[in-house]
Amino acid sequence: MYKNKKKGIIGIIITIIILVLLVIFTNTNGNQMSYIENICNVFVMPVQNGFAYLKNKITGNDSFFADLDTLKQENEELKQKNSELEQSLRELEIIKAENETLKEYVNLKDKYKDYSTIPADVINRDISNYSSTIVINVGSNDGIKENMTVIADSGLVGHVISVSSNTAQVQTIVDTASAVTSTISTTDDTIIVQGTLDDKATLRATFIPTDAVVLQGDSVETSGIGGIYPKGIHIGTIKEVVNTSNITDRYAIVETAVNFTKLNTVLVITNSVSE
Amino acid sequence: MVKKLRKVISIIVLIITFFLLYFVQSNFFTWFTIGGIQPNLFIIYVLMIGLFAGKKLGIILGIIFGFYIDVIIGRQIGISGIMLGIVGVIGELLDKNFSKESRVTIMLMIASCTAIYEIGCYLFNVITLEMNLEIIAFIKILLVEIIYNLIITIIIYPLIQKAGHALEDTFKTKKILTRYF
Repeated sequence: MYKNKKKGIIGIIITIIILVLLVIFTNTNGNQMSYIENICNVFVMPVQNGFAYLKNKITGNDSFFADLDTLKQENEELKQKNSELEQSLRELEIIKAENETLKEYVNLKDKYKDYSTIPADVINRDISNYSSTIVINVGSNDGIKENMTVIADSGLVGHVISVSSNTAQVQTIVDTASAVTSTISTTDDTIIVQGTLDDKATLRATFIPTDAVVLQGDSVETSGIGGIYPKGIHIGTIKEVVNTSNITDRYAIVETAVNFTKLNTVLVITNSVSE
Repeated sequence: MVKKLRKVISIIVLIITFFLLYFVQSNFFTWFTIGGIQPNLFIIYVLMIGLFAGKKLGIILGIIFGFYIDVIIGRQIGISGIMLGIVGVIGELLDKNFSKESRVTIMLMIASCTAIYEIGCYLFNVITLEMNLEIIAFIKILLVEIIYNLIITIIIYPLIQKAGHALEDTFKTKKILTRYF
């Protein structure tokens, strides 16, 4: 009985370790080796540091036997100074974070000054693996309405699909149900970009005109057609063009300008230029 | 009277646990993912309620929890409620036909319920939102999600058993299971 219980606990611990490793390895991009190096260093470096410390002490033995009382006093003073410095560092960190957020808002406001906007924070993300919606902390009390466009510093985020008094739900452009009519900025050809299940950082551009020349690196912007998104908001860049045997079926992969996994601050456009 | 009070307290505890799970799911598991894929704690939770407390509570709480999730973050109100209600019913059906004392059977139940729930929700969304059907990508995500749910089940299995038996004592009348003789 005791043995079984012990075995069970060991099993659970092993499973937790496997889970943590799985999460780490599937979410790190190519930096695994330096990560492993860091882990290895954790085991070796403290001992190594200890040896180095001893070595230094032995070689510089005249300073090692200095007046202990003076050293203790000095140590106390340094500790005091250190805690004071830590305190001011913490305060500075808070101010820095506040400053960053304000800067982000100002940058966003400057970039989209033609539009009347309301800043908002992302407060909740979709818990499903098959859709991609976010919840922001502004609602009908702040003048938010359905179908308003939501943008971030680097480009288009999506549009409002439902509103409560203090929150609004936004369907992002990477959602599988999202389809945005857009244009390739270099050629002005109209295409449709849709979210896919494959990758939440890319879109699939379809309905590319047969005579259109689409190149890797071309910028994709909203076309203004469809009645939701205003014209000229940056969506992303063409990452890859996939040619098929039938030219009408060819499609392109568009890398979104916005990093949706790190999206924290957005702007809701309350009126477009045409209004 | 005491039994009734115990039932009421148990239901309150189940509702509080749901909110705790909601916060864990939306704050922790949105970044603690396997290749960007999250587990679904609500499927495990509602299945456990159906298995140990019976289908009535499984359906009712499944529908309420699902409806709440839809209102908070869902795109279509009702589908999670319906599917979690179905998971609650499946819990009772599985309890009648299989032993829940085995870790493997519990894991198989979780895997099948995750598949049923996600397939149901996905197909509903594909039909109502006129989305493209991406079968291969869907299966890939579903498999990872099932594996993630199974890993979590292995970790919390002792807790499931303990809490489950406490629920069973409160909500189910003791019967002699003749099929085991």
